[in-house]
Amino acid sequence: MRSIEIKHLARVEGHGAITVRIEGRKVREARFEIIEGPRLFETLTIGKLPSENLSIVPRICAICTLSHRYASLRGLEKCLSIQVPEKTTLLRELMLHGEIVESHALHIFLLALPDLLGYPNAAAMTEKYSDYVIKGLTLKKFGNKVMEVVSARATHGENPIIGGFGRYPTNRELHELKDQAKALIPHAQSAIELLGPMKFPAWLDKETTFVCLKPPTKDYGLVGDSILISDGREFDVEDYRKVVNERVVSHSYAKRSRYRDAPYTVGSIARMNLLGNRLKGKPKDHYQQYKNARWKRNPMFNNIAQAIELLHALEKIQSLIDRTVDLKDPAVMKPGRETGKGTGAVEAPRGTLFHSYEVKNGRMSKVDIVTPTAQNLDDIEKYVRIAAQHMLDKGENDEEIGRQLEIVARAYDPCISCSAHLVNIVRK
Amino acid sequence: MTHHTFDDAAKPTKRLLRIGIYGLTSCAGDQLTILNCEDELLDIFNSSEMKSFLMAKSDNTDDELDIAFVEGSVTSDGDLELLKEIRRKSKTIVAIGGCACHGGPQAGRELDRNWRERLKSVYGEQKFDIPVPMEPKPVSAHVKVDMMIPGCPIDKHEFLAALSRLVKGDTPIAINYPVCVECKYNENECLLFKNQLCLGPITAAGCNSVCINVNVPCFGCRGPVVEANVASEAEMLISMRHPHFPTRVHFSAEDVTNRAMMYGGAPMAELLQKLREVKK
Repeated sequence: MRSIEIKHLARVEGHGAITVRIEGRKVREARFEIIEGPRLFETLTIGKLPSENLSIVPRICAICTLSHRYASLRGLEKCLSIQVPEKTTLLRELMLHGEIVESHALHIFLLALPDLLGYPNAAAMTEKYSDYVIKGLTLKKFGNKVMEVVSARATHGENPIIGGFGRYPTNRELHELKDQAKALIPHAQSAIELLGPMKFPAWLDKETTFVCLKPPTKDYGLVGDSILISDGREFDVEDYRKVVNERVVSHSYAKRSRYRDAPYTVGSIARMNLLGNRLKGKPKDHYQQYKNARWKRNPMFNNIAQAIELLHALEKIQSLIDRTVDLKDPAVMKPGRETGKGTGAVEAPRGTLFHSYEVKNGRMSKVDIVTPTAQNLDDIEKYVRIAAQHMLDKGENDEEIGRQLEIVARAYDPCISCSAHLVNIVRK
Repeated sequence: MTHHTFDDAAKPTKRLLRIGIYGLTSCAGDQLTILNCEDELLDIFNSSEMKSFLMAKSDNTDDELDIAFVEGSVTSDGDLELLKEIRRKSKTIVAIGGCACHGGPQAGRELDRNWRERLKSVYGEQKFDIPVPMEPKPVSAHVKVDMMIPGCPIDKHEFLAALSRLVKGDTPIAINYPVCVECKYNENECLLFKNQLCLGPITAAGCNSVCINVNVPCFGCRGPVVEANVASEAEMLISMRHPHFPTRVHFSAEDVTNRAMMYGGAPMAELLQKLREVKK
């Protein structure tokens, strides 16, 4: 028996490792290990105020901070019986799309493209592809700018509060964002045109299940109150446990998820497979140009799905701003009650994110958070195993096998800080 | 084992500074803030020898370093092993971010002394065959730290200023005044006057009072300022005896402790513990 170990997965956020055990010519086991220490987030805010919970839980992950904040707001406001006015909702959607731009630009241009073009990092890529590195950095900076304007800081901004915003962005700030979003459309299109024609290996193809939120309107979107599954079923977000079915395994501080006893995928590729036919305009054209049946079987297509979403986000940012600027700044909404429960969900850049809470007499009494990467872990293992067996059959050496396995894992854009402490806890 | 001091690294040198950027257990927000220096990123890579930056690149080495920037708290024996290895090979360790400097939100229950119980409530009796969890502690609880850049996350201007000085062989400036100083410069109305539980007076500045600028109270994410007068702040919040307060809203001692321990970690726990002992 021999094993191939990738001790520290590079160019991802957080600490993950891959171990593959091989017996003769057969891969016996492929493990995606989450070795980042557990921070026990769900235990940190018990007994604290909802506003304190709202500040702490986005610290689960810097890259998805506003997704966590929005999911948390949706859960907490259900608990406290708060309904926010249209302008608040539009601005929250705006910040979420800013995060999509930042996160997808970072992954596509700076973390994944080096894999697909054969470089160890983005700085090395500059020798031949400096225009793509610069486009990536420009897009990323713009995503951060959106988050700064709406949330007050690129990372862990505190401006979105329960019931509204501490300060509403000015129309001048919003118009500037709109102009910038418009100017960056060609950058996103160039990513689609680079990634779209790329050939991904057919030996990785394998059917899987996709999960994402169903937007309340007929548009492509990132927020919803029901969960859509590629087998045609639909669940209310309050029933999220019926989808995620968490369990603990010995090699991961992230709990694992299986839907109907099988691994599933969340994230861009899931949204594109389930909601892609809702796209309009330029994103629709690109979707129709490159979409093929293999998007349902091969996780490498997540890269192109992200690029199309990047373009969609830049267009959506403009339309959200158009609708926002005519509305008056509303007052911060007050809680209608001090005791209640509720689950909030949003589509984070990497997939469906659930925050489920109970508040008792104005204090947090139960917290449960299920993040996208935790839900993807079983599927990542499945595809890593397929890749390992294929490379082994081809007679590749361990170094090359390791390199390929990393590329497959990275296509999922795993966010390991997020997944390192996904646990249920019930406290009375 | 002898540790090199900060001064050793500060000597001007002709060769490029060998830098490593590491993450222990955290949200990776401080490393992300470095990657968020979009306009300066290529300069950062080009003005130094970037020996290791796992989040950003694949070709990392174990070489000796002039400066190691370390994010995250020590939360497993794997973290501790990596940290000791970094200390061994680095002339200077700069702790970046609230987790590395103070323990971070995960050290927020330091006063409750219930970490084992909480761990068990989450994972039950499950045995793991990966690094063993440890109670979250700041980096300085385990190795000598030469310099700290606090914040949740760090402020990119503060990081760039510190890095520029280090690259030139100079010493970065530590901020030793509270958030209130920056808040006054920004001409904000004091949130304490609006009966909001604001930790500005006891929190290290450097954030340009970013939260209070948008009417959100300071949660203390940069940790206690040097010589923070926690006793006075707690007394004031609990009794609201200050003549300037228009109404007398009282916060409980529990409210104040809960708030201060959101990001205060190990040093705040120590300050509050002393306060409890004095009260007795």
